[in-house]
Amino acid sequence: MSAHATKEIPFAGTVPSPQTENEGMITGHWRTRRPVIDRDKCTECLMCWISCPDACITQDDNKGLQFNMKYCKGCGICTTTCPVGAITNVPELDFAD
Amino acid sequence: MGEKKRISGCVAVANAVKLADVDVICSYPIRPYTGIMSELARMVADGELDAEFIHGEGEHGQLSVVYGASAAGARAFTGSSGVGVTYAMEVYSPISGERFPLQMAIADRTLDPPGDFGSEHTDALCCRDQGWLQGWASTPQEALDMTLMWYRIGEDPRVLLPQYACQDGYFVSHILGEVDIPAAAQVKEFLPPYKNHHTLDTRKPQIIGAQIEPVMGPPLQYQRYNAVEGSRKVIAEVHEEFAKIFGRKYAPFVEEYMTEDADVAIFMQGGHAETAKIVARRLRNLGEKVGVVRLRTFRPFPTQEVREALSKFKAVGVVDNSANFGISGGAGVLLTEARTALYNLGDKVKTLGFVAGLGGEMITHEEFYRMFNKLKEVAKTGKVDKESFWLPFEL
Repeated sequence: MSAHATKEIPFAGTVPSPQTENEGMITGHWRTRRPVIDRDKCTECLMCWISCPDACITQDDNKGLQFNMKYCKGCGICTTTCPVGAITNVPELDFAD
Repeated sequence: MGEKKRISGCVAVANAVKLADVDVICSYPIRPYTGIMSELARMVADGELDAEFIHGEGEHGQLSVVYGASAAGARAFTGSSGVGVTYAMEVYSPISGERFPLQMAIADRTLDPPGDFGSEHTDALCCRDQGWLQGWASTPQEALDMTLMWYRIGEDPRVLLPQYACQDGYFVSHILGEVDIPAAAQVKEFLPPYKNHHTLDTRKPQIIGAQIEPVMGPPLQYQRYNAVEGSRKVIAEVHEEFAKIFGRKYAPFVEEYMTEDADVAIFMQGGHAETAKIVARRLRNLGEKVGVVRLRTFRPFPTQEVREALSKFKAVGVVDNSANFGISGGAGVLLTEARTALYNLGDKVKTLGFVAGLGGEMITHEEFYRMFNKLKEVAKTGKVDKESFWLPFEL
Protein backbone atom coordinates (compact mmCIF):
# COMPACT_ATOMS: atom_id res chain seq x y z
CA MET A 1 0.00 0.00 0.00
CA SER A 2 1.30 3.46 -0.81
CA ALA A 3 2.40 5.90 1.86
CA HIS A 4 -0.63 8.09 1.11
CA ALA A 5 -3.05 5.45 2.30
CA THR A 6 -1.89 5.65 5.88
CA LYS A 7 -2.00 9.44 6.16
CA GLU A 8 -4.78 11.13 8.09
CA ILE A 9 -8.02 11.03 6.16
CA PRO A 10 -10.77 13.52 7.05
CA PHE A 11 -13.85 12.03 8.72
CA ALA A 12 -16.16 10.55 6.07
CA GLY A 13 -14.04 12.28 3.41
CA THR A 14 -15.73 15.61 4.14
CA VAL A 15 -13.43 18.56 3.47
CA PRO A 16 -13.79 22.35 3.59
CA SER A 17 -14.69 23.85 0.22
CA PRO A 18 -11.64 25.16 -1.64
CA GLN A 19 -10.51 28.52 -0.28
CA THR A 20 -7.77 29.12 -2.80
CA GLU A 21 -8.00 30.60 -6.30
CA ASN A 22 -6.49 28.99 -9.37
CA GLU A 23 -4.34 31.67 -11.05
CA GLY A 24 -4.03 29.48 -14.12
CA MET A 25 -7.76 29.47 -14.74
CA ILE A 26 -8.97 33.08 -14.45
CA THR A 27 -12.35 33.29 -16.21
CA GLY A 28 -13.54 36.80 -15.29
CA HIS A 29 -12.50 38.25 -18.68
CA TRP A 30 -15.01 36.00 -20.46
CA ARG A 31 -17.74 38.18 -19.04
CA THR A 32 -19.76 40.50 -21.30
CA ARG A 33 -22.39 41.39 -18.71
CA ARG A 34 -21.80 41.97 -15.02
CA PRO A 35 -24.20 41.05 -12.20
CA VAL A 36 -25.05 44.10 -10.11
CA ILE A 37 -26.90 43.63 -6.86
CA ASP A 38 -29.48 45.98 -5.38
CA ARG A 39 -28.83 45.63 -1.64
CA ASP A 40 -32.18 47.17 -0.73
CA LYS A 41 -34.00 44.39 -2.56
CA CYS A 42 -31.69 41.48 -1.56
CA THR A 43 -33.17 39.26 1.17
CA GLU A 44 -30.02 37.08 1.43
CA CYS A 45 -32.04 33.99 0.63
CA LEU A 46 -28.83 32.56 -0.90
CA MET A 47 -30.46 31.16 -4.05
CA CYS A 48 -27.66 32.85 -6.08
CA TRP A 49 -25.03 31.56 -3.63
CA ILE A 50 -26.11 27.97 -4.09
CA SER A 51 -26.69 28.29 -7.85
CA CYS A 52 -23.42 29.96 -8.91
CA PRO A 53 -21.52 27.28 -10.87
CA ASP A 54 -18.16 28.88 -10.09
CA ALA A 55 -18.67 29.55 -6.36
CA CYS A 56 -18.02 33.28 -7.03
CA ILE A 57 -20.56 34.45 -4.47
CA THR A 58 -19.53 34.52 -0.82
CA GLN A 59 -21.23 35.64 2.35
CA ASP A 60 -19.94 38.53 4.39
CA ASP A 61 -21.73 39.26 7.66
CA ASN A 62 -21.11 42.99 7.41
CA LYS A 63 -21.20 43.74 3.71
CA GLY A 64 -23.74 41.17 2.51
CA LEU A 65 -23.18 38.95 -0.50
CA GLN A 66 -19.94 39.50 -2.40
CA PHE A 67 -19.26 38.70 -6.06
CA ASN A 68 -15.76 37.58 -7.06
CA MET A 69 -15.33 39.29 -10.45
CA LYS A 70 -11.99 37.61 -11.07
CA TYR A 71 -13.86 34.40 -11.85
CA CYS A 72 -17.44 35.50 -12.66
CA LYS A 73 -18.07 34.53 -16.32
CA GLY A 74 -21.26 36.58 -16.44
CA CYS A 75 -23.45 33.57 -17.11
CA GLY A 76 -26.41 35.29 -15.45
CA ILE A 77 -27.66 32.27 -13.50
CA CYS A 78 -27.71 34.35 -10.31
CA THR A 79 -29.88 36.97 -12.04
CA THR A 80 -32.29 34.31 -13.27
CA THR A 81 -32.59 32.50 -9.95
CA CYS A 82 -33.00 35.61 -7.79
CA PRO A 83 -36.66 35.46 -6.62
CA VAL A 84 -36.89 39.20 -5.83
CA GLY A 85 -35.15 40.59 -8.91
CA ALA A 86 -32.30 42.10 -6.90
CA ILE A 87 -29.64 41.28 -9.51
CA THR A 88 -29.33 42.94 -12.94
CA ASN A 89 -27.04 41.99 -15.83
CA VAL A 90 -25.31 45.24 -16.84
CA PRO A 91 -23.19 45.33 -20.05
CA GLU A 92 -19.46 45.53 -19.27
CA LEU A 93 -19.06 48.53 -21.62
CA ASP A 94 -21.19 50.60 -19.20
CA PHE A 95 -18.39 50.38 -16.62
CA ALA A 96 -15.26 52.48 -16.58
CA ASP A 97 -12.97 49.70 -15.21
CA MET B 1 -46.41 6.15 31.70
CA GLY B 2 -47.35 5.15 28.21
CA GLU B 3 -50.53 3.59 26.90
CA LYS B 4 -51.40 0.17 25.53
CA LYS B 5 -53.09 -0.13 22.16
CA ARG B 6 -53.80 -2.81 19.59
CA ILE B 7 -52.04 -1.53 16.48
CA SER B 8 -50.24 -2.87 13.40
CA GLY B 9 -46.48 -2.87 12.77
CA CYS B 10 -46.90 0.11 10.43
CA VAL B 11 -48.80 2.20 12.97
CA ALA B 12 -46.32 1.15 15.67
CA VAL B 13 -43.42 2.50 13.58
CA ALA B 14 -45.32 5.73 12.87
CA ASN B 15 -45.80 6.17 16.62
CA ALA B 16 -42.09 5.63 17.20
CA VAL B 17 -41.21 8.18 14.50
CA LYS B 18 -43.51 10.68 16.17
CA LEU B 19 -41.96 9.97 19.58
CA ALA B 20 -38.48 10.36 18.06
CA ASP B 21 -39.61 13.86 17.02
CA VAL B 22 -38.35 13.38 13.46
CA ASP B 23 -37.79 16.61 11.49
CA VAL B 24 -38.01 15.47 7.87
CA ILE B 25 -40.02 12.59 6.36
CA CYS B 26 -39.91 11.63 2.69
CA SER B 27 -42.50 9.23 1.29
CA TYR B 28 -43.39 7.45 -1.91
CA PRO B 29 -46.20 4.93 -1.93
CA ILE B 30 -45.72 1.18 -2.23
CA ARG B 31 -47.41 -1.61 -0.32
CA PRO B 32 -47.01 -2.65 2.48
CA TYR B 33 -44.71 -0.08 4.13
CA THR B 34 -46.96 2.74 2.92
CA GLY B 35 -49.16 2.17 5.99
CA ILE B 36 -46.40 3.90 7.97
CA MET B 37 -46.51 6.95 5.73
CA SER B 38 -50.29 7.27 5.66
CA GLU B 39 -50.31 7.29 9.46
CA LEU B 40 -47.46 9.83 9.59
CA ALA B 41 -49.20 12.02 7.01
CA ARG B 42 -52.29 12.01 9.23
CA MET B 43 -50.19 12.92 12.30
CA VAL B 44 -48.58 15.85 10.48
CA ALA B 45 -51.93 17.03 9.06
CA ASP B 46 -53.60 16.83 12.47
CA GLY B 47 -50.77 18.78 14.09
CA GLU B 48 -49.62 15.87 16.28
CA LEU B 49 -46.17 15.91 14.72
CA ASP B 50 -44.20 18.95 13.64
CA ALA B 51 -42.21 17.67 10.66
CA GLU B 52 -41.61 18.44 7.00
CA PHE B 53 -43.52 15.81 5.02
CA ILE B 54 -42.06 15.65 1.51
CA HIS B 55 -43.35 13.54 -1.39
CA GLY B 56 -40.47 11.97 -3.29
CA GLU B 57 -40.81 11.42 -7.03
CA GLY B 58 -39.65 7.84 -6.51
CA GLU B 59 -37.51 5.90 -4.06
CA HIS B 60 -34.22 7.20 -5.48
CA GLY B 61 -35.57 10.69 -4.85
CA GLN B 62 -36.82 9.73 -1.40
CA LEU B 63 -33.39 8.59 -0.27
CA SER B 64 -31.77 11.66 -1.84
CA VAL B 65 -34.12 13.95 0.09
CA VAL B 66 -33.41 12.39 3.49
CA TYR B 67 -29.69 12.26 2.64
CA GLY B 68 -29.68 16.06 2.21
CA ALA B 69 -31.94 16.55 5.23
CA SER B 70 -29.62 14.53 7.46
CA ALA B 71 -26.62 16.48 6.13
CA ALA B 72 -28.41 19.70 7.04
CA GLY B 73 -28.79 18.50 10.63
CA ALA B 74 -32.34 17.10 10.58
CA ARG B 75 -33.41 13.78 12.04
CA ALA B 76 -34.76 12.14 8.90
CA PHE B 77 -37.01 9.18 8.15
CA THR B 78 -38.00 7.32 5.04
CA GLY B 79 -39.01 3.82 4.02
CA SER B 80 -40.02 1.47 1.25
CA SER B 81 -40.85 -2.08 0.23
CA GLY B 82 -39.88 -4.55 -2.49
CA VAL B 83 -38.77 -3.03 -5.79
CA GLY B 84 -38.88 0.40 -4.16
CA VAL B 85 -36.02 -0.67 -1.91
CA THR B 86 -33.93 -1.80 -4.87
CA TYR B 87 -34.77 1.28 -6.98
CA ALA B 88 -33.01 3.46 -4.37
CA MET B 89 -29.90 1.25 -4.34
CA GLU B 90 -27.47 3.88 -5.63
CA VAL B 91 -28.06 6.24 -2.71
CA TYR B 92 -27.42 3.78 0.15
CA SER B 93 -23.65 3.68 0.00
CA PRO B 94 -23.12 7.47 -0.14
CA ILE B 95 -25.36 7.90 2.93
CA SER B 96 -23.37 5.43 5.03
CA GLY B 97 -20.01 6.51 3.58
CA GLU B 98 -20.70 10.12 4.49
CA ARG B 99 -22.00 8.90 7.83
CA PHE B 100 -25.53 10.29 8.00
CA PRO B 101 -27.56 8.38 10.61
CA LEU B 102 -31.00 8.58 9.01
CA GLN B 103 -33.47 5.73 9.25
CA MET B 104 -35.33 3.74 6.63
CA ALA B 105 -38.18 1.42 7.52
CA ILE B 106 -38.57 -1.60 5.26
CA ALA B 107 -41.74 -3.71 5.37
CA ASP B 108 -40.65 -6.61 3.19
CA ARG B 109 -42.22 -7.32 -0.18
CA THR B 110 -41.32 -9.79 -2.91
CA LEU B 111 -39.31 -8.43 -5.83
CA ASP B 112 -40.88 -8.66 -9.30
CA PRO B 113 -41.85 -10.85 -11.10
CA PRO B 114 -44.68 -11.70 -10.70
CA GLY B 115 -45.93 -8.45 -9.21
CA ASP B 116 -46.55 -10.28 -5.97
CA PHE B 117 -46.94 -7.97 -3.03
CA GLY B 118 -46.49 -10.63 -0.35
CA SER B 119 -43.63 -10.53 2.11
CA GLU B 120 -40.15 -11.87 1.42
CA HIS B 121 -36.86 -10.70 2.96
CA THR B 122 -35.13 -10.54 -0.44
CA ASP B 123 -35.68 -6.79 -0.88
CA ALA B 124 -33.92 -5.70 2.31
CA LEU B 125 -31.26 -8.40 2.05
CA CYS B 126 -30.21 -7.03 -1.35
CA CYS B 127 -28.80 -3.98 0.43
CA ARG B 128 -27.21 -5.81 3.37
CA ASP B 129 -23.62 -4.81 2.59
CA GLN B 130 -24.09 -1.07 2.05
CA GLY B 131 -22.64 -0.03 5.42
CA TRP B 132 -26.06 0.34 7.08
CA LEU B 133 -27.15 -1.22 10.34
CA GLN B 134 -29.96 -3.70 9.81
CA GLY B 135 -32.30 -5.77 11.93
CA TRP B 136 -35.69 -7.49 11.83
CA ALA B 137 -38.58 -7.03 14.22
CA SER B 138 -40.98 -9.92 14.74
CA THR B 139 -43.90 -8.10 16.41
CA PRO B 140 -45.42 -4.58 16.22
CA GLN B 141 -44.04 -3.88 19.70
CA GLU B 142 -40.55 -4.78 18.60
CA ALA B 143 -40.98 -2.66 15.44
CA LEU B 144 -41.71 0.37 17.64
CA ASP B 145 -38.84 -0.36 20.01
CA MET B 146 -36.39 -1.07 17.20
CA THR B 147 -37.16 2.26 15.53
CA LEU B 148 -36.23 4.11 18.73
CA MET B 149 -33.16 1.98 19.43
CA TRP B 150 -31.79 2.24 15.88
CA TYR B 151 -31.95 6.04 15.98
CA ARG B 152 -30.10 6.05 19.27
CA ILE B 153 -27.45 3.59 18.07
CA GLY B 154 -27.01 5.17 14.63
CA GLU B 155 -26.70 8.71 16.00
CA ASP B 156 -24.15 7.73 18.66
CA PRO B 157 -20.94 9.69 17.86
CA ARG B 158 -19.03 6.40 17.94
CA VAL B 159 -21.26 4.97 15.19
CA LEU B 160 -22.86 7.58 12.88
CA LEU B 161 -24.42 5.14 10.46
CA PRO B 162 -27.83 4.87 8.78
CA GLN B 163 -30.20 2.08 9.74
CA TYR B 164 -32.67 -0.25 8.05
CA ALA B 165 -35.44 -1.14 10.51
CA CYS B 166 -37.07 -4.15 8.85
CA GLN B 167 -40.28 -6.01 9.50
CA ASP B 168 -42.12 -8.68 7.52
CA GLY B 169 -44.74 -7.19 5.24
CA TYR B 170 -48.31 -8.00 6.38
CA PHE B 171 -47.29 -10.64 8.96
CA VAL B 172 -45.95 -7.82 11.15
CA SER B 173 -46.78 -4.63 9.24
CA HIS B 174 -50.54 -5.26 8.96
CA ILE B 175 -51.43 -7.60 11.82
CA LEU B 176 -52.48 -6.00 15.06
CA GLY B 177 -50.58 -6.69 18.22
CA GLU B 178 -50.70 -5.23 21.68
CA VAL B 179 -48.22 -2.39 21.78
CA ASP B 180 -47.05 -0.42 24.78
CA ILE B 181 -46.57 3.09 23.39
CA PRO B 182 -44.10 4.82 25.69
CA ALA B 183 -44.61 8.30 27.10
CA ALA B 184 -42.87 11.16 25.31
CA ALA B 185 -40.87 12.01 28.45
CA GLN B 186 -39.35 8.51 28.56
CA VAL B 187 -38.31 8.75 24.91
CA LYS B 188 -36.82 12.18 25.52
CA GLU B 189 -34.64 10.69 28.22
CA PHE B 190 -33.57 7.83 25.96
CA LEU B 191 -33.06 9.69 22.69
CA PRO B 192 -31.24 13.04 22.87
CA PRO B 193 -31.60 15.49 19.96
CA TYR B 194 -29.64 14.66 16.81
CA LYS B 195 -26.35 16.52 16.49
CA ASN B 196 -24.76 16.35 13.09
CA HIS B 197 -20.99 16.01 12.77
CA HIS B 198 -20.68 18.59 10.04
CA THR B 199 -23.86 20.60 9.68
CA LEU B 200 -24.25 22.54 6.45
CA ASP B 201 -23.25 26.14 7.14
CA THR B 202 -23.08 28.74 4.39
CA ARG B 203 -20.28 30.56 6.18
CA LYS B 204 -18.15 27.43 6.39
CA PRO B 205 -18.93 25.66 3.14
CA GLN B 206 -17.81 22.04 2.89
CA ILE B 207 -17.67 19.39 0.23
CA ILE B 208 -19.58 16.25 1.12
CA GLY B 209 -18.76 13.29 -1.06
CA ALA B 210 -15.83 15.02 -2.74
CA GLN B 211 -14.07 13.40 -5.66
CA ILE B 212 -11.03 11.84 -4.00
CA GLU B 213 -7.65 10.62 -5.13
CA PRO B 214 -7.64 6.84 -5.57
CA VAL B 215 -5.15 6.44 -2.71
CA MET B 216 -7.75 7.80 -0.31
CA GLY B 217 -10.11 4.96 -1.19
CA PRO B 218 -8.71 2.25 1.09
CA PRO B 219 -8.52 4.42 4.25
CA LEU B 220 -12.04 5.76 3.71
CA GLN B 221 -13.45 2.26 3.32
CA TYR B 222 -11.46 1.19 6.39
CA GLN B 223 -13.03 4.09 8.33
CA ARG B 224 -16.53 2.84 7.46
CA TYR B 225 -15.55 -0.79 8.20
CA ASN B 226 -14.41 0.25 11.68
CA ALA B 227 -17.64 2.19 12.24
CA VAL B 228 -19.76 -0.88 11.41
CA GLU B 229 -17.58 -3.19 13.53
CA GLY B 230 -17.48 -0.69 16.40
CA SER B 231 -21.26 -0.45 16.47
CA ARG B 232 -21.51 -3.91 18.13
CA LYS B 233 -20.51 -2.51 21.50
CA VAL B 234 -22.95 0.39 21.20
CA ILE B 235 -25.79 -1.93 20.14
CA ALA B 236 -25.30 -3.98 23.32
CA GLU B 237 -25.09 -0.85 25.51
CA VAL B 238 -28.20 0.77 24.05
CA HIS B 239 -30.28 -2.39 24.50
CA GLU B 240 -29.34 -2.40 28.17
CA GLU B 241 -30.25 1.23 28.61
CA PHE B 242 -33.52 0.70 26.75
CA ALA B 243 -34.45 -2.07 29.19
CA LYS B 244 -33.69 0.23 32.12
CA ILE B 245 -35.90 3.06 30.86
CA PHE B 246 -38.76 1.15 29.20
CA GLY B 247 -38.68 -2.18 31.05
CA ARG B 248 -38.55 -4.30 27.89
CA LYS B 249 -35.43 -6.41 27.64
CA TYR B 250 -34.32 -7.76 24.27
CA ALA B 251 -31.24 -9.82 23.55
CA PRO B 252 -29.33 -7.38 21.33
CA PHE B 253 -28.27 -9.95 18.73
CA VAL B 254 -29.82 -13.41 19.10
CA GLU B 255 -32.91 -14.38 21.05
CA GLU B 256 -32.97 -17.96 22.28
CA TYR B 257 -36.25 -19.83 22.84
CA MET B 258 -36.32 -23.22 24.61
CA THR B 259 -32.74 -23.90 23.57
CA GLU B 260 -31.56 -25.28 26.89
CA ASP B 261 -30.46 -28.93 26.40
CA ALA B 262 -31.95 -28.87 22.87
CA ASP B 263 -30.51 -31.25 20.28
CA VAL B 264 -31.82 -29.41 17.27
CA ALA B 265 -32.87 -25.83 16.60
CA ILE B 266 -34.33 -23.57 13.94
CA PHE B 267 -32.32 -20.40 13.22
CA MET B 268 -34.15 -17.56 11.48
CA GLN B 269 -35.23 -13.93 11.63
CA GLY B 270 -38.48 -11.99 11.38
CA GLY B 271 -42.12 -12.64 12.18
CA HIS B 272 -42.22 -16.27 11.03
CA ALA B 273 -39.96 -17.10 13.98
CA GLU B 274 -43.00 -16.56 16.21
CA THR B 275 -44.71 -19.47 14.40
CA ALA B 276 -41.56 -21.58 14.84
CA LYS B 277 -41.70 -20.90 18.58
CA ILE B 278 -45.27 -22.21 18.81
CA VAL B 279 -44.26 -25.43 17.05
CA ALA B 280 -41.17 -25.78 19.26
CA ARG B 281 -43.34 -25.37 22.36
CA ARG B 282 -45.74 -28.07 21.18
CA LEU B 283 -42.88 -30.43 20.43
CA ARG B 284 -41.43 -29.72 23.88
CA ASN B 285 -44.78 -30.75 25.36
CA LEU B 286 -44.28 -34.06 23.56
CA GLY B 287 -40.85 -34.40 25.11
CA GLU B 288 -38.79 -33.41 22.05
CA LYS B 289 -35.60 -31.44 22.68
CA VAL B 290 -36.04 -28.61 20.18
CA GLY B 291 -35.56 -24.86 20.26
CA VAL B 292 -35.57 -21.67 18.19
CA VAL B 293 -32.83 -19.07 17.81
CA ARG B 294 -34.07 -15.80 16.38
CA LEU B 295 -31.62 -13.34 14.86
CA ARG B 296 -32.49 -9.73 15.76
CA THR B 297 -29.50 -7.85 14.39
CA PHE B 298 -28.43 -8.86 10.90
CA ARG B 299 -25.85 -6.11 10.23
CA PRO B 300 -23.35 -6.09 11.72
CA PHE B 301 -23.72 -9.89 11.67
CA PRO B 302 -23.17 -11.12 15.24
CA THR B 303 -20.68 -13.85 14.33
CA GLN B 304 -19.56 -14.56 17.88
CA GLU B 305 -23.05 -14.62 19.38
CA VAL B 306 -24.41 -16.86 16.60
CA ARG B 307 -21.46 -19.22 17.00
CA GLU B 308 -22.05 -19.46 20.74
CA ALA B 309 -25.79 -19.96 20.35
CA LEU B 310 -25.67 -22.55 17.56
CA SER B 311 -22.65 -24.58 18.68
CA LYS B 312 -24.78 -26.19 21.42
CA PHE B 313 -26.86 -28.20 18.95
CA LYS B 314 -26.29 -31.35 16.92
CA ALA B 315 -28.22 -29.98 13.95
CA VAL B 316 -29.45 -26.52 13.00
CA GLY B 317 -32.03 -25.71 10.36
CA VAL B 318 -31.58 -22.26 8.91
CA VAL B 319 -34.83 -20.86 7.51
CA ASP B 320 -34.38 -18.37 4.69
CA ASN B 321 -37.34 -16.24 3.67
CA SER B 322 -35.50 -14.93 0.64
CA ALA B 323 -34.84 -15.99 -2.95
CA ASN B 324 -31.08 -16.11 -3.53
CA PHE B 325 -30.67 -17.89 -6.83
CA GLY B 326 -27.39 -19.76 -7.31
CA ILE B 327 -26.11 -19.07 -3.79
CA SER B 328 -23.55 -21.31 -2.08
CA GLY B 329 -25.42 -24.03 -0.17
CA GLY B 330 -28.48 -23.71 -2.39
CA ALA B 331 -30.69 -21.96 0.19
CA GLY B 332 -30.34 -18.31 1.23
CA VAL B 333 -28.18 -15.59 2.75
CA LEU B 334 -28.87 -16.62 6.32
CA LEU B 335 -27.57 -20.15 5.73
CA THR B 336 -24.27 -18.88 4.29
CA GLU B 337 -23.85 -16.39 7.14
CA ALA B 338 -24.65 -18.99 9.83
CA ARG B 339 -22.28 -21.51 8.27
CA THR B 340 -19.47 -18.95 8.11
CA ALA B 341 -19.99 -18.25 11.80
CA LEU B 342 -19.78 -21.99 12.57
CA TYR B 343 -17.01 -22.87 10.13
CA ASN B 344 -14.03 -22.94 12.47
CA LEU B 345 -15.80 -25.33 14.83
CA GLY B 346 -15.33 -28.08 12.24
CA ASP B 347 -18.12 -30.54 11.52
CA LYS B 348 -19.58 -30.46 15.03
CA VAL B 349 -22.90 -28.86 14.06
CA LYS B 350 -24.76 -30.08 10.99
CA THR B 351 -26.52 -27.29 9.10
CA LEU B 352 -29.47 -27.57 6.75
CA GLY B 353 -31.03 -24.79 4.71
CA PHE B 354 -34.81 -24.37 4.35
CA VAL B 355 -36.20 -21.82 1.92
CA ALA B 356 -39.77 -21.13 2.99
CA GLY B 357 -42.59 -18.61 2.87
CA LEU B 358 -41.63 -17.12 -0.49
CA GLY B 359 -44.02 -14.77 -2.24
CA GLY B 360 -45.69 -13.92 1.04
CA GLU B 361 -46.97 -17.41 1.77
CA MET B 362 -47.28 -18.41 5.39
CA ILE B 363 -44.75 -20.82 6.80
CA THR B 364 -47.27 -23.22 8.29
CA HIS B 365 -47.03 -25.20 11.51
CA GLU B 366 -46.91 -28.35 9.42
CA GLU B 367 -43.90 -27.08 7.50
CA PHE B 368 -42.06 -26.36 10.74
CA TYR B 369 -42.90 -29.89 11.96
CA ARG B 370 -41.38 -31.28 8.77
CA MET B 371 -38.24 -29.18 9.26
CA PHE B 372 -37.85 -30.29 12.88
CA ASN B 373 -38.34 -33.94 11.83
CA LYS B 374 -35.65 -33.61 9.17
CA LEU B 375 -33.29 -32.07 11.73
CA LYS B 376 -33.95 -34.84 14.25
CA GLU B 377 -33.13 -37.41 11.56
CA VAL B 378 -29.82 -35.66 10.78
CA ALA B 379 -28.99 -35.31 14.49
CA LYS B 380 -29.62 -39.03 14.98
CA THR B 381 -27.74 -40.38 11.97
CA GLY B 382 -25.08 -37.66 11.73
CA LYS B 383 -25.53 -37.83 7.96
CA VAL B 384 -26.56 -35.07 5.56
CA ASP B 385 -27.87 -36.46 2.26
CA LYS B 386 -29.27 -33.19 0.99
CA GLU B 387 -28.27 -29.87 2.48
CA SER B 388 -30.98 -27.53 1.31
CA PHE B 389 -34.72 -27.78 0.74
CA TRP B 390 -37.17 -25.47 -1.01
CA LEU B 391 -40.48 -25.78 0.77
CA PRO B 392 -43.05 -27.08 0.06
CA PHE B 393 -41.62 -28.71 -3.08
CA GLU B 394 -38.72 -30.63 -1.60
CA LEU B 395 -39.79 -31.38 1.96
